[in-house]
Parts: sequence; structure tokens; C-alpha cells
Amino acid sequence: MLNRLEAAPPAAAARSLRSRKWASRIVLWAFLLIVAAFALFPLTLAFFGSLKSNLELTTGSSLLPKEWKLSNYAEAWNTANFARFTWNSVFVSVFTTIGTLLVGTMAAYAVARVDFPGKKLYVLIQSGTLFISIGAVVLRPQFDLMVALGLQKTLWAVIIILISGHATAFFMLIGFVRAIPKELDEAAYIDGCSFRGVYFRVILPLLTPALGITALWTFRGAWNEYILPLVFTMTQPALQTLTVGLASLKYGVGDAAQPQLMLAGACLSILPMIVLYVLANKSFMQMAAGSVKG
Amino acid sequence: MNVAKRRINAWLFIAPSLILTLVFGVYPITWALKYMFYDYQGFGEPLFIGLDNFSRLMRDKEFWQSVVNTFIYAGGKLVVTLPLSFVLGIILNQALKGRQLLRAVYFLPTVVSASVMAIVFYVIFNSYNGMVNQLLMGAGIISSPIDWLGSKYALLTAIIIAIWGAIGNYMLLFIAGLQNIPDDLYEAASLDGAGAFRKMWSITIPMLGPVLQMIIMLAITISLKGYESIMVLTEGGPYGRTQVMYLYLYKLFFPVTSGGASIQQFGYGSAVGFATAVIVGIVTLIYFYVSRKLNDVY
Repeated sequence: MLNRLEAAPPAAAARSLRSRKWASRIVLWAFLLIVAAFALFPLTLAFFGSLKSNLELTTGSSLLPKEWKLSNYAEAWNTANFARFTWNSVFVSVFTTIGTLLVGTMAAYAVARVDFPGKKLYVLIQSGTLFISIGAVVLRPQFDLMVALGLQKTLWAVIIILISGHATAFFMLIGFVRAIPKELDEAAYIDGCSFRGVYFRVILPLLTPALGITALWTFRGAWNEYILPLVFTMTQPALQTLTVGLASLKYGVGDAAQPQLMLAGACLSILPMIVLYVLANKSFMQMAAGSVKG
Repeated sequence: MNVAKRRINAWLFIAPSLILTLVFGVYPITWALKYMFYDYQGFGEPLFIGLDNFSRLMRDKEFWQSVVNTFIYAGGKLVVTLPLSFVLGIILNQALKGRQLLRAVYFLPTVVSASVMAIVFYVIFNSYNGMVNQLLMGAGIISSPIDWLGSKYALLTAIIIAIWGAIGNYMLLFIAGLQNIPDDLYEAASLDGAGAFRKMWSITIPMLGPVLQMIIMLAITISLKGYESIMVLTEGGPYGRTQVMYLYLYKLFFPVTSGGASIQQFGYGSAVGFATAVIVGIVTLIYFYVSRKLNDVY
């Protein structure tokens, strides 16, 4: 290969090299665009489908709707109860995020800063919950516990159980706490701060960027959670979150299946995550990448 | 502040975390470890039956079929996802116009809920009036609709959804690993006349070793455990063709409208839960043994 190029006159060699470079660039971009199309096609179809009439969605064969039916969204929001589902999802996600951050930062601060007896065991238990998974089995005793606490008919049951799964957040946060210089704690102690004072006045303010990343991670998990709210709202349709309410549409509202409403509902439940993602996609990617380095 | 006081404070600070973890994380596991030796259906007195649940498990064809389905599902997902996201990671780790935008597009599916996407796929892959069939037929690629959720293709459709949701995540993990490889290694290799494939084989893969091992382990365990999207898409049907083991387990505790057990079986379910966790554990151990070379630090 090399010999042939050397033998050829310089201009022709440069030309063939340039055309080979072009060819490989075209192949590369074709590949990248095909994968991008694969990543976007279900969302695109869902979006355009959500604006079609029932008839067009089930019989038409064009991508774009002929008649843009924004009323699908109004119908999903009002009659299919998505206003209620959205409120429930917001409620669960916000309180889960606040609780997880509070419980997680307190534990991360204590473990990062103090050598207390039982610390190794505590960390072992936390990492154990990450690795051992017996699936849906745990839901049964968790449900019984919530009955004992009298919370099984509220969304607090879902929130508390989601907060109890804070091990990932804890391990994310502990790295960030360790990155804060210990000298700052010592200086605050000399100024008369208590252990709690250091947490509120030194650690939490300096953790702000980490809190943002961990909050996004937790919020996404709570917003997208399906099984847990499903189990706890089986007899309480009024408490269903977006994921649960949407999936229940599969069994029909009233008499006929309404695919255009399902797609409108799906778009409604995806939209907040997409907005968050557009605003903060660097942080989203950072948290995923951080799990390898940690 | 003295050491003793600080220790007490530390205990107070981990108390909420510890209590929540013990009550809602550890206790349910001990609950299952107890009831897997009982005949218990949620009402009446639980009856101790020793290892009967496990001998029933060995004979439970539906369970073992779900184990086979799980391996097909996880295998199909990984065979496409890992190489594809590795290649994407390599490409998007280089200086390339539009790199940030492409990364953002590929990562987008990972912020969407698995159950919501399953509903979207359920509608657009619907056999008789779904948009995918309409578009394919409109474009003349197929002449009659494909029954995407029928017994022939349902598992494949489930795998496509899983691949769709996973590529961006692993691409990003690979990029994070690649960024830890020092550039001067590549420069030195270039000076020695190494080509692109030689660099990949002699620098990228060995240097990525431990991270690669971890990413693949993560991918294996996650794909063995996933059942949310299948539950929404097909509930394990038709005829159990898409039933994976964690979905079978779920149905023993929360019987669903179609297919699977119709009564709750907490005792037997606990035994099945234990068995599935052991299966995942064994796969992980085998993987660690097979991949031990990746962990050799060069």
C-alpha cells in the first residue's frame, strides 16, 4: 500500500489520500446518524402520534399528523386524570429527593470525618444493599411494615421506601465530602462551631454542586419509578403516579383503547425529564460517568 | 471537641440512614430467608415445610423457562449494547465536530422511564395499527404487518427496547474510562509506528482493563434484573415467551391480570427470590473468573 502511494505522482497520491479520508468520514457519519436516528425514533413517533386523531393514528401511514390535535393533551390532562398523576409524581419525587439528600449527606459527613466504632459494619451494610437483590420479594414485608405504621394508604409509604434506598446517593456524596479540606472543619471548631454547626455552615454550602448532581440522580429515579408506586396504589387510583397511571391506560379508559391518549400521556410524563435534561445534561452525564471512577 | 463527643454525634448523624436501611432494606431480606422454609399464602398460619419449596422449585418448569428467557434477553441485549456503545465511546472520545450534541442525543433515552417507554413501544409496535408497521408498509419495506408482540417476535421487541435504553449509558461509562488513559501513551506508540488497530489492541483495551471489567459486570447484573419494561409491554406473554425470572417472581407476590399464578405465594416466592439472587451471584462469580485477565494492571 505504502509503496504504491510512493510510486504514484505526488498530486495523484494526495488526491487518492484525500478521497479515502472523505470516504471514511462519510461511513463514520452515516454510522453516527443511524444510531442517532435509532435513539430518537420512538420519541419522535410518540410526539407526532400524540397529536393525531385516533382514526389517523390507527390507520394513517404518514409520520406527520394531517390535523394537529392538541385536544389530545387537554383530554389526557382532564378526563384521563393526568393532572392528578402529575401532582402525585411531583409530590413523590420532590420529597424523595429532599429526604435522600438529607439522610445521605448526614451519613456521608459522619463517615467521612469521624472514626466511630461500627463504621466498617455500617459501610458494609450500605454496600450490601447495592449488591443483593431479591427483587419483588421485599415489597411484601415493606407493605406489611407500612400497614403497621398506618401509612399504606398514603404516598409517604412510597417516599419513605425510596429514601431508604439511598445507598447510591451516600456513596456518591461521600467522595464529595472527602474532597472538602478537613482544615475547614477544624477552623470552624476553633471558632466555636458544634458538629452540627460544621455540617450546616461548612459542609452543606461547599457541597452545593454535588447536591445538584445527586438531586438530579435521585429525582430521575423517583420520577421514573414504576413497581413501588404500582404496588402501593393498587387499590387507590387517586394516588397513582404518572408511570402507574399511564401503564393502566393499556387496559382502556371506558370502552375502547385510546392509543393517542396513551402517547399524549407518555409525552406529558417524559416532558419534565427532557426539560431537566436540556437544562442540565452535563450534570446528568457527569453522574453516570462518576459511577465508574468512584 | 473531644473524641467521645464527636463519636456520639457521628452515631446520631448516621442514625436515620442506618434505621431506614435496617428496617426497609435488611429486615425484608431476613423475612424472605425465614419464609422460604414455610408454606405461606398471606393468610392463615404459616406452616414450616423445610426444603419443600426448593424441591418444588427444581421441578417448576415455568421458573426454569423464565431463567432461560432471562439469559436470552440479557444476552441479546448485551451482545448489541456493549460493542455498539464501546465503538461510540471510542469515536466520541476524539475531537469531532458535534461531539457534545451527539453524546447528548445518545444519552437522552436513559433519562426516560422504562415503564413509560414500554407504553410508547407498545403503541408504536402494535401489530395491526402500530406506527412502525404503517411506516414500514408505507415505505414498501414489508408487505404485511409484522406481529411485533406475538409469540415469535415479542422477546426480540423487548430486547430492542432494552438496547434502546442502555446504549447511551454504557457509551458514557466507556468515555469516562477512556479519559483516564494518558495521551502520551498514544503519542509514544505513534512514534513507534503503531496503527489505529495496534493502538486499540495494545493500549486502549489493556489500559481500560479494570474499568472494562466493572462496566461489563454492571451491564450483566442490570440486564439480568430488568423486568419493568417487559411487565408493561407484555406481562411476560404471549404464552410466557417473554417471562423473565424477576417478572415470574413478581407475579408470585402480586398476581397480575393475565398469565402466571393467580394466588399469592409468599413462602414459595421467597424461595424463588433466593434462587434468583443466587443465580445472579453465580453468573457474577463466573464472569469474574473468566474476565480475571482484564484486571491485570499493565
